[in-house]
Amino acid sequence: MDFEMERFISALIDRSPPHALVHLQLVLIPVIVAFLIAFPVAVLLTRRRFMRYTDRVMTFFNMGQTIPPLAIIAVFFPFLGLGMEPALFALTIYALLPIARNTLAGLKGVPQEVKEAARGIGMSEWEMLMRVEIPLSMPVVMAGIKISVVLTSGTAALGALVGAGGMGAVIFAGIDFFRAELIIAGTLVIGAIAIVLDRILSVIDNKLTPPHMKM
Amino acid sequence: MIVLDKVDKVFPGSNIPAVKQVSFQVDEGNICVFVGPSGCGKTTILRMINRLIEPTSGDIYIKGKKVSDKGLNPDHLRREIGYVIQQIGLLPHRTVEQNVALVPYLLKWPEENIKPRVRELLDMVGLDPDEVAQKYPFQLSGGMMQRVGVARALAADPPIMLMDEPFGAVDPIVRGRLQDEFLRLQKEMKKTICFVTHDINEAIKMGDHIVIMNKGELVQHGTPMEILSEPANSFVKDLIGTEREIKLLELTKSGEIVNKKAEIPETVRQKDCFISVIDPVQRALETMMKKDSDLVGVRDKDQEIGTISWNDIKKLINKLSGDA
Amino acid sequence: MIFASSILQWAGNIYEKYFGFVDFIIRRSERVVEYTANHFSLVITVMFFSLILWISVGLLISRYEKLANTAFGIGNILFVIPSISLFGIFITIPMLGLGRTSAALALILYAMMPMVRNVYRGIKSVEWPIIEAGRGMGMSPKQILFQIQIPIAWPIIFAGIRVTTVMITGIATVATFIGERNLGRFIHHGIARESADMIIAGAVLVSVIAILLDYILGKVEYKITSPGLRKEQEQS
Ligand SMILES: Nc1ncnc2c1ncn2[C@@H]1O[C@H](COP(=O)(O)OP(=O)(O)OP(=O)(O)O)[C@@H](O)[C@H]1O
Ligand SMILES: [Mg+2]
Repeated sequence: MDFEMERFISALIDRSPPHALVHLQLVLIPVIVAFLIAFPVAVLLTRRRFMRYTDRVMTFFNMGQTIPPLAIIAVFFPFLGLGMEPALFALTIYALLPIARNTLAGLKGVPQEVKEAARGIGMSEWEMLMRVEIPLSMPVVMAGIKISVVLTSGTAALGALVGAGGMGAVIFAGIDFFRAELIIAGTLVIGAIAIVLDRILSVIDNKLTPPHMKM
Repeated sequence: MIVLDKVDKVFPGSNIPAVKQVSFQVDEGNICVFVGPSGCGKTTILRMINRLIEPTSGDIYIKGKKVSDKGLNPDHLRREIGYVIQQIGLLPHRTVEQNVALVPYLLKWPEENIKPRVRELLDMVGLDPDEVAQKYPFQLSGGMMQRVGVARALAADPPIMLMDEPFGAVDPIVRGRLQDEFLRLQKEMKKTICFVTHDINEAIKMGDHIVIMNKGELVQHGTPMEILSEPANSFVKDLIGTEREIKLLELTKSGEIVNKKAEIPETVRQKDCFISVIDPVQRALETMMKKDSDLVGVRDKDQEIGTISWNDIKKLINKLSGDA
Repeated sequence: MIFASSILQWAGNIYEKYFGFVDFIIRRSERVVEYTANHFSLVITVMFFSLILWISVGLLISRYEKLANTAFGIGNILFVIPSISLFGIFITIPMLGLGRTSAALALILYAMMPMVRNVYRGIKSVEWPIIEAGRGMGMSPKQILFQIQIPIAWPIIFAGIRVTTVMITGIATVATFIGERNLGRFIHHGIARESADMIIAGAVLVSVIAILLDYILGKVEYKITSPGLRKEQEQS
């Protein structure tokens, strides 16, 4: 691998920043939208009325996760054309699965005794959800969001294929011209985005997790 | 047969010894029972005997040979020693039959000998082979699993058995039955057995010899009779508990106090108030109460050999408790 | 009559718009076969080496606890690297360049995390009384590994193999950008030519294959699990 430091630094400093900004959007928007969809759906699915659909929906989610990322990214392109929209659409779908799965697992993991006790002291369904179930399942939900962030920031590199830009543009340029410097620079920025977001989520997680559940 | 000589065990990362200067001997064909509170080192002693762990200092001999001898492969040693572990530890991915056959397989027994042996063993521990042989451990109750554990340890007919609370997970009635059955088998098998229990009553019933432990130290050892009649200190007294006299009556054979010269009165015959010489004195007492008599006749097989009176029993109780 | 024919026409439009890829697959069936064969031969190569390599590593770190953290650290880093970058980095290494070796190496690295983690988890799932029993009965360390630990861990290990196979099948599509002629190529060229049929054909093919593979391996997973380890399924 011939590696020129100068070219690498210029790729990192001159070329990357605008793409990094786009990339950040390609991660943040899908994850936030996915959370806004997946979280309520998962909460609904664990209510007694919908409980019996949980397994079927889980199977569906799991199946969704087996679909290759490239296929999801590509498949919206014919309908939405070039640009950020097809990528955002695809990435949102991709980001949905880990969040929904973990929210379901987290809510289901709240021990029955705890729920009984909460009912025993006269909490309504709503109070129990807000004050017992959601707080207790928060660590698992956050873990799901983190997985989603890592997956999405990697997958978003493919967004460049459908004209969404982002760090993928730098990496694909590197591949087209056999420039390791570009590929590595692009990868580092994506890694940095993933790590920074992960850290931020950890801070939020720390604030949200009930003190006795901290490790 | 098994000798421990000043054995110490200090687990790494701990400064209190789990076993401290323990010496004792188990004679061939005897059951030696270890009793003591949780954490006193009972399991640790068993695990040192079959070399699952090594003593920190001191020596262990089996049949006069040091177990730590270089020439002795510990895996081979263990195949000669049946081990019933406290947590049962059946292999979850194998059927009951395969679990019991584990050691015979390791010893490369011919296939055709293994199946009948497994059936025999399951029968022996009171399980119906047709019903359980093909089941998996998770389909059994705790007590059934424990019995499979005992069968597994007995499978290759090892001369030595280490049994760590083998009847801990069964209810008192079944436990009593298993104990009786095991003692009956032991009469034929004549194995050398180290038996761990929490339960002093089980110790008295099963043991030819009892070792009482506390906090890693050997507090007292001796026959059940010796322990009951001469508890070494208040710890042993507390362990024996309140019904010491009754336990003693269970341990004394009628033959030991029978009044051989006495005539057997007609009333005893009328009430059919008889026991056998090998019955414990406890039985004489029960028979008296049931038949409302203060005298029982004693038979040896079919022969009438004498009587035991209420006074004889009282004298025995006084003598036994007076010693303490 | 008019009504019926307009329905037919409407259906025809829908078909053309959304199911044109079916035509495409039929028309280009030779290509489909070629790409599918290439796709699978790559996946099989990768899985072959991954099984040997990562199962060994998994067993190793379950014995030498200290190595575990290092291995998981490396695995985590690899997992954060986008697939396209990993492929890209390998092709810039002069010895490798464009082609199958680069693609396979990148995919083998990707397989590390799910494989190693599951082997480790599986071996660690064997409770100590079971090991103690094995030792107590006089099993050698090797017998304990092969007759107790691996069989009990096997369902979890196999679950790892399943997840990895499906994942590798998916990511392998991206290798089209470094010259692999596999199912990803329909998507790749479809985008370049703005051919919806081609893109959808590629996407549908790989998705169906991935889902089928997952389903089949799921069945196999159930089959090979000792009934004694199947408690959860049986009881529910
Ligand atoms: N592997 C080990 N590492 C460290 N300490 C241990 C280990 N095994 C046992 N110990 C300690 O050694 C002491 C004796 O333990 P042991 O298991 O022999 O007790 P026990 O008499 O069998 O108790 P129980 O009746 O509860 O089974 C305990 O204090 C225990 O914590
Ligand atoms: Mg113990």
